[in-house]
Amino acid sequence: MASIMVACSSNKKPIATDTATEVAGSEVDFKIEKSGAQLWGEVCNRCHIAPSPADYNDTDWETISLHMRVRANLTEEEITKIETFLKSAN
Amino acid sequence: MGIDQLYQNLEKMKKLLMTLIILGLGSSALAQTYNTFEPSKTQFMLRGYGHTGFEYLDTGGEQESTFLGATFAPIFLYKHSDKLMFEAELEFELEGNELKTGLEYADVMYVLNKHMTVRAGKFLLPFGTFMERLHPAWINRLPSRPLGFGHDGIAPASDIGVELRGAFDLGGPKMNYAVYVTNGPRIKDGSEEPEEAGMLDFGYYEDVNLAKALGGRIGLLPLSDSSMEWGISAYTTNSTGAEDSDYKEVGAFLWALDLSYVKSITPLQGVVDIKAQYNSSNVDTATYYEIEDGISEPYSFDNQSSSFYTQLSYRPIMSGSDFIKQLEFVGRYSDFNAPEGAEWEEKSTQYAFGLNYWLSWRSVVKLSYQTTKMEGGHDSDGTTRTNGLFVHWAIGF
Ligand code: HEC
Repeated sequence: MASIMVACSSNKKPIATDTATEVAGSEVDFKIEKSGAQLWGEVCNRCHIAPSPADYNDTDWETISLHMRVRANLTEEEITKIETFLKSAN
Repeated sequence: MGIDQLYQNLEKMKKLLMTLIILGLGSSALAQTYNTFEPSKTQFMLRGYGHTGFEYLDTGGEQESTFLGATFAPIFLYKHSDKLMFEAELEFELEGNELKTGLEYADVMYVLNKHMTVRAGKFLLPFGTFMERLHPAWINRLPSRPLGFGHDGIAPASDIGVELRGAFDLGGPKMNYAVYVTNGPRIKDGSEEPEEAGMLDFGYYEDVNLAKALGGRIGLLPLSDSSMEWGISAYTTNSTGAEDSDYKEVGAFLWALDLSYVKSITPLQGVVDIKAQYNSSNVDTATYYEIEDGISEPYSFDNQSSSFYTQLSYRPIMSGSDFIKQLEFVGRYSDFNAPEGAEWEEKSTQYAFGLNYWLSWRSVVKLSYQTTKMEGGHDSDGTTRTNGLFVHWAIGF
């Protein structure tokens, strides 16, 4: 699982690192944006073991994401980012 | 017709079909059809879970052992658009020689806005987290449910009604809420099962009166990595008896506290998962009747029950060994207190220990030992100790 996370986050725009440097350089109260891969690792493990992106195709991830958004009461931002990640890494 | 002839005819048909396709669509169009394949807007998924196993029980010296009939719970997910969805779960289970069926949930949901979704139908109630989030066999880390949940439990599991739910990002911490109105429970007045007089029957879905149950839960995830969630739930109804019965005025108030903590801890080389829930049920005092030697004797009791469980599990996912990585160690304590003076008066405590082997994220073989000490209970007097050994195999799909 960890290897998928590393592999996927390296393919993506390194959002977290960018913003982190920005925070260091400015005085603004800035929230560090998390990537979909990171959110997937944190959020999808809370009730059951997080499924691997490869387990479903894009269409199924759309259905599952809506299902989990409601069942797990996730924020729109969380589920949108995670869904994008799952669909990009399967 | 001989095989050769059949084969020749098939070959002819194949050629004809190919010619038609090439003539009719053109090869480029054909290629395009494949390349731009678009999934339909309507999406349907059939999923679900099942489990089977073996159990050995020793109840106060009386032993029994059995292979368990497989349980099969198909789940239908129907996504109509990005906002509208229907979910339903059927349950099939062999109880003795009978096939028991059930409709666990069947509800429609619509995302109203960023922070609010409406659900209507029969849904799992967010009273604490165990029933809504953790009870499916492929999610529950132990083969059994904690005391206080399930049959004769005090926590409501599902009901028919409407619900609003949603979540907010508080800039790191997160908060989620759910509020619902449902038909509510029916009180067992003792006319059918005198030994259960005063219990709330949450499995009685038909509404027996005009009063509805109102409930909700607020969840707070204080840490930005979502590893911890605290929840508080409440559930209330003014009436649990039939409109024209003596129990019409008997109301109930229940509340629950829940905790979840899941975190990957490097020095421990694995994931630590803590879950806990406390349930409290307060039903208004009422008079019930006990038939002794043909005479009906009234009695009453302070109708308060509670139950609690806490579970700790650990998966050494950072271990170098592929075998050890798939293992999980679980321990759970639970207790249940039913009201003193009731026919179902009971004080129980239970310890359960388990060793799991995860075949995948949704399939697990669970081996567990469980010991329960029960004082009272409506089947017996005195103290009963039940020890059980379970091997279950659960799979989600
Ligand atoms: C708050 C608890 C919770 C969280 C957090 C959660 N799930 Fe689930 N998940 C469930 C439950 C409960 C089910 C089983 C639904 C059922 O059987 O009724 C489930 C089922 C699933 C399934 C099986 C298919 C389905 O839709 O039922 C998949 C896949 C899944 N979850 C993926 C995810 C992903 C991806 C995430 C992260 C975005 C996630 N889950 C987060 C509780 C959760």
